[in-house]
Amino acid sequence: MALINIYHLYPEHLNLYGDRGNMLALSRRANWHGIEANIIPVEPGTLINFSNCDLLFMGGGQDSDQKLVAEDLKGRSSEIRKAIEEGMTIFAVCGSYQLLGHYYKTTLEEKIGGLEIIDLYTEAGSKRMIGNAVISCTLWDQPRTLVGFENHAGKTFLGPAMQPLGKVITGYGNNGVDKTEGAVYKNVIGTYLHGSLLPKNPWLTDYLLQKALSYRGQIFQPQILDDSLEQQAHNNAIRLAGSRRHKRISSQV
Amino acid sequence: MGREKLEVRKDQQKLTKKGGFNNRLFKIKLLGAVWFGKVLIVFTRILGRGGTTLPGRAALRIEPGLSSALTARLAEGSLVITGTNGKTTTSALITGMLKEAGFSCIHNQSGSNMSWGVASALIGSTSWSAYPVGDCAVMEVDEGAFPGVVKGIKPRGVVVTNIYRDQLDRYGEIDLIKNSIKIGLEVQPTDGFQVINADDPSLVGIADNSKTKRWTYGLELDLPVDQFQTGGRDIKTCPRCHKKLAYDKIYFAHIGHYHCPFCSYKRPEPDVKLVNRTINPDGTALLQISLPGENFELNFPLIGTYNLYNILAAVTCAKALAIPTAFIIKASEKAVPSFGRMELFEFNGKKITMALIKNPVGANEVLRTLLAQKNRIKLLVAINDKIADGTDVSWLWDVDFEQLVAIKDNLSTIIVSGLRAWDMAVRLKYAGFNPDQIKVEEDTAMAIVQTLEQSTPEEMLFILPTYTAMLEIRRHLNKMGLGKPYWED
Repeated sequence: MALINIYHLYPEHLNLYGDRGNMLALSRRANWHGIEANIIPVEPGTLINFSNCDLLFMGGGQDSDQKLVAEDLKGRSSEIRKAIEEGMTIFAVCGSYQLLGHYYKTTLEEKIGGLEIIDLYTEAGSKRMIGNAVISCTLWDQPRTLVGFENHAGKTFLGPAMQPLGKVITGYGNNGVDKTEGAVYKNVIGTYLHGSLLPKNPWLTDYLLQKALSYRGQIFQPQILDDSLEQQAHNNAIRLAGSRRHKRISSQV
Repeated sequence: MGREKLEVRKDQQKLTKKGGFNNRLFKIKLLGAVWFGKVLIVFTRILGRGGTTLPGRAALRIEPGLSSALTARLAEGSLVITGTNGKTTTSALITGMLKEAGFSCIHNQSGSNMSWGVASALIGSTSWSAYPVGDCAVMEVDEGAFPGVVKGIKPRGVVVTNIYRDQLDRYGEIDLIKNSIKIGLEVQPTDGFQVINADDPSLVGIADNSKTKRWTYGLELDLPVDQFQTGGRDIKTCPRCHKKLAYDKIYFAHIGHYHCPFCSYKRPEPDVKLVNRTINPDGTALLQISLPGENFELNFPLIGTYNLYNILAAVTCAKALAIPTAFIIKASEKAVPSFGRMELFEFNGKKITMALIKNPVGANEVLRTLLAQKNRIKLLVAINDKIADGTDVSWLWDVDFEQLVAIKDNLSTIIVSGLRAWDMAVRLKYAGFNPDQIKVEEDTAMAIVQTLEQSTPEEMLFILPTYTAMLEIRRHLNKMGLGKPYWED
């Protein structure tokens, strides 16, 4: 049986927006596809064994919790970078996504250093970007939609060579300006979308599982699953994101 | 309510007797706003709505100082109850105690708790000459609206129940909620009082610097270990040094007996304590309450640990108001579930329980009660994502629906409904339910009719709606002759 080790970073701290749902989706779908998912919760202050980690999940946290992550991982960016170059998968949401970049500049012009793993930086904005979001994602031969909910004040800008996760159809995305959302570098995916993101976008869950497996030379043999509930939830969320009611709400915030 | 009351009155006279053109204009605008609001209440009720949002909103647009002017005309002033969970029940309990003591209260009992909800409730109980009919106002107020309302109506007493994660789409991060409550506590006039839950570390951290007289309450009981520990945990870090707190006891979420091993921060000794609970043969609880120089017992009919905190908050507030113990005891015995909080209905011999769900901690408490049921259960979960529900439904993933899988043989069907019915269906699938056991009916009216048709008198139908889904379902139940319209007391 194929096996993957999923490291869950600070389940108690980085769980701001239902990030438990992302872990649940990864472990359930792994099992449904006949993959054994070994989930390893990581507590603050403990060292991650990156040579054993196939997929690292980092959820969203409050500013204070985000600082804990930064402290624990700061000294280890070279190890992380090495693992990433070799193909380790990272899925990072919201605050953790920002942390992967160079820095976060606060409204007081103070720069908080990031892990410098991918080429992006974030600046605090004056207005929170809150609401349903739909993006067109090109991780596959045919673009597929991803739907989630975003809630961030930071505006993230990608370096010139960076690929976004997708193009914004509805919502704000990285910064509300350039219509990009998230970032992809090798097998690292960062995004502002939660909701939780993975349950309603099962193709992204499967994509992450596949990448995590191939990192250790294992082959992903997907089972044919009945995803009709997920597909319905996906379609319904897209419909709601485009509804007039939602547009009115998001313009109010 | 002796000397303070008189002083408040003098202040009001100063306010209302001030002459001048601006003051007269204000009075005219106030009168207009009240009249317009009252007419709108009549119209919205003819349309079968509660009139708890629109009239207040419209009236505030005409005169933004409306709530402040009306409450200033109340002889006993006003009380504001805020916090994530327990606002509605706590404010109903406080109202009960005040009524028992002979005061008449204006109370936004339907849970419409934004600034316009407060305004609507005030207008509803105000005469056409813009004088409120009542001695005092008891208002539950949303955490986000709290600073604005406190600034406006200058309450004598403020009660803060707890701070959990709730509806982050509206406030951004939980730090913003804390900040909002902190500002509210700071702008309250310092001659009043504040009632604070000593068992909530983040709340105590906020209220620490306030100059207003502070009353604290807390549980000192041995309760069975909580199995709902996996979801909805939030603030277990020390508010002073941000390191991990240590707990001697956890009652639920982050509520309990805590101290920080790294700095001196610890749970304050509560002024009012619940020291013992015994369950009476009829299912009600006999609670033993202890405060400096006084011990007394009261019978309390509402179930659930969270209701122990609600009654304790109410008792503490009543004590701060110097209400005699006999009235407190009498009112506690008469407590009934508030609007949508474990309300019971019966339709052709079929039993229905409706319990509002709106955030992980509250929803887990509801599931806990549901798990204790011996009857066969039918479940209807209705999730909307309107503003009052929270437009972000990701909180559903922090609710421990996994616990329900353990009793799935005792669950005949699960019907999911509402604007976010499909999200809920996916949530249950990933909790471990077979998709065949989940039925989706987006329309709440259809869902309630079909579910009732299929249920039997041996079953208990549990309806778990979000706030606006509850209003919809309640309208359908009212049409079927169940319950009273929610704007009637």
